[in-house]
Amino acid sequence: MIEKSLSHTELPNFITLLEEKFPNCRWLSHLAYYENIVFSLIVAGIICLAVFEVTRKKRGSPGRLQIALEIFVGAVDDFLSGILGPKARSYTPFIGTLFIYILSMNLFGLIPFMKSATSSWSTTLALALCVFVYVQYAAFKELRFRGYIDHLLGRPRGFLAFSVIFPLMMFFLHILSELVRPISLSLRLRSNIWGDDMLIAVISGLGLKAVPLLLFSTLLVIIASIVQAGVFCLLTTIYFTLIIEHEES
Amino acid sequence: MELLKLLSASEIFAQVVSFLILLFVLRIFLWKRILKVLDDRKEKIASEFKGIEEGKLEVEKLKSDYEAKLKTIEDTAKAKIQEAINEGEEILGKMRKDAQEEGRKVIEDAKAGIKYEIAKAREDLKDEIIGLVLSAAEEVLQQKITEKEDKKVVEDFIERVDKVQ
Repeated sequence: MIEKSLSHTELPNFITLLEEKFPNCRWLSHLAYYENIVFSLIVAGIICLAVFEVTRKKRGSPGRLQIALEIFVGAVDDFLSGILGPKARSYTPFIGTLFIYILSMNLFGLIPFMKSATSSWSTTLALALCVFVYVQYAAFKELRFRGYIDHLLGRPRGFLAFSVIFPLMMFFLHILSELVRPISLSLRLRSNIWGDDMLIAVISGLGLKAVPLLLFSTLLVIIASIVQAGVFCLLTTIYFTLIIEHEES
Repeated sequence: MELLKLLSASEIFAQVVSFLILLFVLRIFLWKRILKVLDDRKEKIASEFKGIEEGKLEVEKLKSDYEAKLKTIEDTAKAKIQEAINEGEEILGKMRKDAQEEGRKVIEDAKAGIKYEIAKAREDLKDEIIGLVLSAAEEVLQQKITEKEDKKVVEDFIERVDKVQ
């Protein structure tokens, strides 16, 4: 039974089920090929609708959801202000949206017949590339070209070897580390969520006897989803901090 | 290379576009709106706190003014009471002085009266003694007096004088 359950790395979602039911339908096979895009678009649509509904101007006192959203937004803003300082406000929407989007996609896989789009490397790499581009843009914006090159050359500087060799080494190392960041960010998130999905799929394949274990695993997966979304956003914040700190120094 | 097979350029592009659209929507409808609400609320709370602080300062100022006024009133009252006491003491001293003066005057008048009475009494006594002497002399002249009687008359006279005195 275990071997059988291990053969499926993910639980079937409604697209794969429909594809199985209608194997000759071409657009369903296309949809199955792009299922991660479909699920991430569903998540994005749900988030947009929820935000529209909650933040729609209503008379009287704000509802519970709006209060919860205000608490969340305030907490994110305070957290980022604590790390990034007074410049945090310009980065809050980007990092906050990343957190909401990643967390929603992570948790979406726990809903029956749905899938976590973040279990696909393409999805996480796309998000990591967005982070990479925005960090580079922010670096150019905050430090200008000269400051950015200075940032890449690193510290310390000094006579002879320190004035040429060490900065050049640091320059290539910095460029390498900048290029590696999206890969490490995306692979970390993708692997963790893919592992969570696989765990749920394997335990689900064990049958009714494994229901308590499945519930416990689901709890672990929820925690892991929150932690992974947090880690992704925290690392993004650190990348911004490195630029701002360099600018201030 | 095996790992790269997991990637799909079209999927990456679609995910980037999807995220950017979501970011655009949330930036306008969530972050800007909610952060503005939070900022307005913070500002409102800060202004209310400022108002409370100003009110506190005003109350403190009023309290200090009131206390200063109260102190001034107390000082004025004390000064007035002291002034009244001083005035009373002055009046008392004056009255005492007047009374002493008057008493002394009464005593002096009494003494003068006594002196006058004594002088008058002496004058009266003198007149009476003279009268008695004259009457005694008359009696002596009217009677033929023996030596013995003469002596008796003189002794009577002396006795009368003693009695009168």
